[in-house]
Amino acid sequence: MPDLKLIKLKINDREVQVPQGTLVIEATRRIGTEVPSFCYYPGLSLQAACRMCLVEVEKAPKLQTACTLVAIDGMVVHTDTEQVRQARKYMLEFLLTNHPLDCPVCDKGGECELQDMVFRYGADSSRFVEEKIHRPEEKWSDLVYYDAPRCILCFRCVRVCDEGMDVKALGVGMRGANSVIIPNRGDHLECEECGMCIDICPVGALTSGAYRYKTRPWEMQYVPTVCAHCSNGCKTTLSVRNHEILRANNRDLSGINKDFLCVKGRFGFDFTNHPERTRQPLVRKGDKLLPVSWEEAAQVAATKLKAAYDAGGKDAIGFIGSNRTSNEENYLLQRFARATFDTNNIDHHRTADYAGLVTALGGQAADSLLTMEQLYESKAVLVIGNDPTNQNPLVAWQIRSGIRHFGTKLFLINSNEIKLKRQAKQFVRIAAGQEHAVLKWLAREEGQLAPELVEQLVQLKAALEAESDVAIVFGAEISGAAMTTLVAFGSKLPGKTRYLALADYSNSRGAGDMGLLPDRLPGYAHVDDAKAREAFEQLWGCVLSSKPGLTAPQMVEAAQAGKLKALYVVGANPLAHFGKPGEGRGKLDLLIVQEMFLTETAKVADVVLPATSAYEKDGTVTNTSGEIQLLRKAAEVMGPRSDFDLLRILSHQLEKQGLGKAFHYKTPGAVFEEIRKAVPAYNVPLAGLLTGGAEATRVQFARNGHMPYDVPVGLIRSANDTLFTSGTLGRWCTMMESLPEAHT
Amino acid sequence: MQLSPKLSAKFEKLQTSYPQKRSALIPMLMYAQDEIGHISDEMIAEIARRLDLNNVQVEETLAYYSMLHRKPMGKHHVQICTNVACMLKGGYEILERAKKRLEIGHKETTQDGVFSLEEVECIGACTGAPAMQVNYDFYENLTPLKFDRIIEELDNGKRPEPEPVTSGALHDRNVLETPLISRHWGMKDSHKLEVSVMQGGYKALEKALKEMTPDSIIEEVKKSNLRGRGGAGFPTGMKWSFVPKDSPKARYVICNADESEPGTCKDRPLMEMDPHQLIEGMVIAGRAINSHQGFIYIRGEYRYVLNIVDAAIAEAYNAGCLGKNILGTGFDFDLLIHTGAGAYECGEESALMESLEGKRGYPRIKPPFPAVVGLYGCPTIINNVETLSAVPSIIREGGEAYANCGTPKNGGTRLLCVAGHVRKPGIYEIPLGMNMKKFIYEVAGGVPDGKKLKAVIPGGSSCPLLTADEIDIPMDYDSLAKAGSMLGSGGMVVMDEDTCMVDMARRIMHFYAHESCGWCIPCREGTSWLRKTLERFHAGLGREEDIDLIADLAKNMLGRTFCPLGDAAAMPTISIMKKWRGEFEDHLKGRCAYKSAGALVGAR
Repeated sequence: MPDLKLIKLKINDREVQVPQGTLVIEATRRIGTEVPSFCYYPGLSLQAACRMCLVEVEKAPKLQTACTLVAIDGMVVHTDTEQVRQARKYMLEFLLTNHPLDCPVCDKGGECELQDMVFRYGADSSRFVEEKIHRPEEKWSDLVYYDAPRCILCFRCVRVCDEGMDVKALGVGMRGANSVIIPNRGDHLECEECGMCIDICPVGALTSGAYRYKTRPWEMQYVPTVCAHCSNGCKTTLSVRNHEILRANNRDLSGINKDFLCVKGRFGFDFTNHPERTRQPLVRKGDKLLPVSWEEAAQVAATKLKAAYDAGGKDAIGFIGSNRTSNEENYLLQRFARATFDTNNIDHHRTADYAGLVTALGGQAADSLLTMEQLYESKAVLVIGNDPTNQNPLVAWQIRSGIRHFGTKLFLINSNEIKLKRQAKQFVRIAAGQEHAVLKWLAREEGQLAPELVEQLVQLKAALEAESDVAIVFGAEISGAAMTTLVAFGSKLPGKTRYLALADYSNSRGAGDMGLLPDRLPGYAHVDDAKAREAFEQLWGCVLSSKPGLTAPQMVEAAQAGKLKALYVVGANPLAHFGKPGEGRGKLDLLIVQEMFLTETAKVADVVLPATSAYEKDGTVTNTSGEIQLLRKAAEVMGPRSDFDLLRILSHQLEKQGLGKAFHYKTPGAVFEEIRKAVPAYNVPLAGLLTGGAEATRVQFARNGHMPYDVPVGLIRSANDTLFTSGTLGRWCTMMESLPEAHT
Repeated sequence: MQLSPKLSAKFEKLQTSYPQKRSALIPMLMYAQDEIGHISDEMIAEIARRLDLNNVQVEETLAYYSMLHRKPMGKHHVQICTNVACMLKGGYEILERAKKRLEIGHKETTQDGVFSLEEVECIGACTGAPAMQVNYDFYENLTPLKFDRIIEELDNGKRPEPEPVTSGALHDRNVLETPLISRHWGMKDSHKLEVSVMQGGYKALEKALKEMTPDSIIEEVKKSNLRGRGGAGFPTGMKWSFVPKDSPKARYVICNADESEPGTCKDRPLMEMDPHQLIEGMVIAGRAINSHQGFIYIRGEYRYVLNIVDAAIAEAYNAGCLGKNILGTGFDFDLLIHTGAGAYECGEESALMESLEGKRGYPRIKPPFPAVVGLYGCPTIINNVETLSAVPSIIREGGEAYANCGTPKNGGTRLLCVAGHVRKPGIYEIPLGMNMKKFIYEVAGGVPDGKKLKAVIPGGSSCPLLTADEIDIPMDYDSLAKAGSMLGSGGMVVMDEDTCMVDMARRIMHFYAHESCGWCIPCREGTSWLRKTLERFHAGLGREEDIDLIADLAKNMLGRTFCPLGDAAAMPTISIMKKWRGEFEDHLKGRCAYKSAGALVGAR
């Protein structure tokens, strides 16, 4: 943003300095003076419709709307004169004429902006004796209900759906006092079901099908944490009553996503209470998994693990971690594999080639990885592959917001006509799988492409070369060698180029960063980098192997082929993802699974340890743009334990049986402290984290002779989730599953 | 969806007529409804597809306009005006007669689908009140008997001859009149190019294009002291000079022909009897601001006038007065006439532009003003029909000559429609500054039946009302302002001593509540509240505290709404409450003896 000239104005006799172009309403907020408003909403188009923000401006003949008035040098504003107070009082009185006073049964009661404003600025009595306009409530979808009489027509919902979401599912019907909000399919909605309209509604006109009539706002506790679904890491505030999550939103506009949440972030928490949730440890007895006590389960697991290790050695055992568990849990798991079992057979379902990106960037990595904020402020964005609207909703939101607020130029290279195309300056349609070929041409004008395509690429290249900064955002289509080509192209652009690899799940980046990789230690150092190994050996008091282990697909293949004897799985479903259909657990002697539900993998396990979800634990996660945020325990469930607990329990059991060292971390926080010391990128200041914000990691990576390398086809694979699916976990998100849009 | 060849051709043409496709939306809906009778779901989808919109964008736009219907209306849609001018002349009696005769109520359709009935707001036939429209045909000076005859003919499958021209436009000229822009009225075929040219039409255009520069045109208009005739009275030359000269964007000229201020029906005869004068004025305006595209936004009810103007535009193209290289001067100007669909608010300039862009007629935030950011975000001047029609005279005769017609700062002549309780309701062209009392008594013939004058709406129902004692004033913008009212749009309504002012206040508020666009709270909720309270009060259920409440609410709407519609609703109300408070008190005591009041208690 260019530096704007500062101007001075006076608000209520206080001098205020603001950048030129600032709206008076924003200037008043700077000095903590409230000018009330309904229709004004930062980031959305201006309306001046609610007339609540009328203020007195010296020399103006009548009251002015602070939300549209641009502050000018020497302006004198009064926000609390008799005339202003009277105007507000009348506006509220007008509003209440057709607004039902059903606050006692209204979901919004207690957190309603109208209620608060009437309390603060309204009249003490009502003079309206006419009949109100009555209309029945409408159900627009399982998630969205509309109560027209409560609607104060601030049009926030219409604007956020159009300008913010580019969905345009809401409109205004009728006219005058009969005006109503209308959905796009006559009597119902067909949309992305993001629920932005519900949360942005200042009153109880739009209510949530998932939350309505369940509780009162003051009966709940509010826990800020991070969404458990995609890799974008939206902050979500869980509303919890009696340890149960009743609602998710982000009304305080904090975090990297401000008020944005998609359908998953807002409604996808109901898996926590799903009846199929595994609540007791299970141990296989014959062909049945039977519930046992925690003591028995831990003992059985440890004994069998020790036996498998003793029988087959370190190469016969493998570990597959999760891209949803916390950084601390991931760190512990790889320590468990590497230190306790002396193996590099540790991996996870990779949906983005972070290791490849970091390696390709080498020393540039620290300042070349894009944050969500930087994405929003980028002058130009190039998206290669992926469908951010569906797979990375916050990324799409940031891009749309940038286009709206700063005129960001968007360029797309995709084999599908994705929704972002509507707002793109240029859309280059390619064949599926042609990404690397296109990049080779862009980087080195290498290879034979159709002349029409070349023509488009020439244009694209020229456009990107004219920009001072370019954000390159890409999906799983780019990995291995293609990544190297991409960075070669990006490095040639004259401006600042930053990169963002898009993954699928809430802690995919954390899994990579924490070394859930067969060839990388936490922080991406290669396992044969002696210096890096030495640091961890000292830390953990062990000797680490320098030989890369098996990847997740290799481990499953080896298991099904009988080469791997034992597999330890945390929060993943590798048999379904990588296994040959019908071959199940293959010839594994031992399969232990830490999981919330009986997935295909858990069903055939020997021991199933019920785990808590991200909403039921403390810790940290790292989103796909490398920003660390705190997970805070919101809900309490009977039975399951966090993966942190489970690994700790096993480490103690194993130590008792003579294998490895027990983990003496008392809390995930203690693990995080160790990570901050061991992984330089994670040595972030805590201040932002503790207030619920995000801290960007700065990956410090030295290649130390390791050149970028290609990855086998299929190792990096997107789950191709839609807005309404979330990998294996999505199956237990009942509300999302029930939406008709989920099945179109 | 299968469309008739005619409609399909119409759609194809509309889709490509505008700089932006969406602008075709409202005309497409109107023409579709004309043919099919209503707007079906399939039609919405079809139009959305053709204009690259989604269904909800079409649906929300059509829901705004009162002439567009989602359900089938009768073959003959009978629309009876009961707004102030018609009410004073028996509009409600006609409505009651219609309900009995057709055995249906407001917005209902007969079982056989032949007739539907709607009580409508001012249709621009005030000088022929009471009036109605059947589909697009105007029938004026109605009596219950005449109404029955019309219905009977319709029932027999005939189309009763509609009014040939706006009633009250043609009359013997009074010596006090100075016909300038109305001087061709009444001539045979005055709407035709041939006749217009014979009378000196397009001479001014030739002068403007060949002898003048854009700046000198603006100078001449400034000299004329011409002020906007739509109601606000803003100096026209100054408005034109606000258009930035260095903007790289296109510029537009819009003629605001959305005449709908109750009491006003002057633009209708101006367009039906002298469309070429308007076209000429628009091309000159185009030249003045270096614009090459004009639009005439005409209210949807004036369909027959649209057809007349459309034919005139075609003639002008043929004669080289529009299109490329006009009169061989190298200047290009295209002109398109665009139909509205029933919304008073679209007379507000920025709401009109939204509507012309195919959206709901919500006004825009100002600044920026249209001269800088107008239609499609481009510099735009927008003027009333009468204003633009005055331009050729100004260019032809010189600004000074025009200015000399009126009083200082109030140049020229003005068309005044006088309706209500006068002997000779009609549209008269008088020099600005004529004494109002003199006008009412000497031009309009005074109050009939020997009754006394009680009140005057000086220039459309948005203006504060004047009492009999307040009318001895010159009629120009500044004198009216001094008297606490406005010259407005020239729609004068005169009320005799038997008029119930409570009923008048009620009917005025009924109109503004109906027309409030719903954008801002004070207007949306305020007009609706006041309408309900005034209705209750007038029906005999008033409370003493209501009197102060009504005045208080109106005062607290004033100056706080988004656009002037809220003020327009508040101002007449405040004036009535102040000047005829006694009548409200009488109502409380059950003493209101006025004819119109007694007859209507319980009627609605």
